[in-house]
Amino acid sequence: MGLFTSINIAASGLAAERLRSDVIADNIANASTTRTPEGGPFKRSRVILRPMNAQPYFRLPFQPESLDSGAGQGVRVASIEKDESPARLVYDPTHPDAIKTGPKVGYVEMPNVNIVTEMVDLIAASRAYEANSTMADGSKAMFMKALEIGR
Amino acid sequence: MFESSTFGKTIDILHKGMDVAVLRRQVISDNIANADVPNFKRSTINFEASLKKALESEKLEPLLPMTTTDPQHIKSFAPSDYRLVEPRRVLDYLTTAKNNGNNVDAEQEMMDSLTNQLSYTLQAQAVNFEFNQVNLVLRG
Repeated sequence: MGLFTSINIAASGLAAERLRSDVIADNIANASTTRTPEGGPFKRSRVILRPMNAQPYFRLPFQPESLDSGAGQGVRVASIEKDESPARLVYDPTHPDAIKTGPKVGYVEMPNVNIVTEMVDLIAASRAYEANSTMADGSKAMFMKALEIGR
Repeated sequence: MFESSTFGKTIDILHKGMDVAVLRRQVISDNIANADVPNFKRSTINFEASLKKALESEKLEPLLPMTTTDPQHIKSFAPSDYRLVEPRRVLDYLTTAKNNGNNVDAEQEMMDSLTNQLSYTLQAQAVNFEFNQVNLVLRG
């Protein structure tokens, strides 16, 4: 339990939420990208978050010391994963990436990015970022008070 | 030097209280940082109730006083020492508030953090007051 642990935890939250909004911005920027190096349309990414130190597997109110990994240390990004849900099909035979053969001829595979979902996620990330920054601010105010002891 | 005086005890309790406020802030920060993590469960800190119980036990009189003739005998009544009271971290593992198994309520956590912050500030001010009193005496 250090003086600056709460600030470090808030910082981990800030970093995670910033990455989330970065990924959302990338998804929105590529909302109509039909051609990617790996082939096919762009696939939306999402950030998978995990607690910094694992929570106990056995859910008990009081942990035995051997199973307890201590108070939480913040959040970390486990991975950024592609959403493999099917692409949105738009009929546009003149498009250079339109499907040439098969039953779906004339359709263009558009990215599986839904702007509304992305915007909602962006607001959630932005609010979470604010909450973390408030925590860091509050910690700072608290420790400034402690520094006034004995003045 | 001050162990037996009111000053020593007050400073001791305030010191402990401020330590617990820092730990509690750490736990609340962690809850907020993990507010969107699937299956994360919030934690809380229990301390004040145990401290109050320990402090009240000092004033209690045994209902049935019994003498022990050997130090190894179990005493019928022993007040608990407030210095041995430790904060306990409790995992709220039973509730679920969101579809992803997470039970962090951001509003609740922000309110808790505000209360905790004010209690820390208050205790810092009380420590300051105690030292000012001593200062007053020393200066005459």
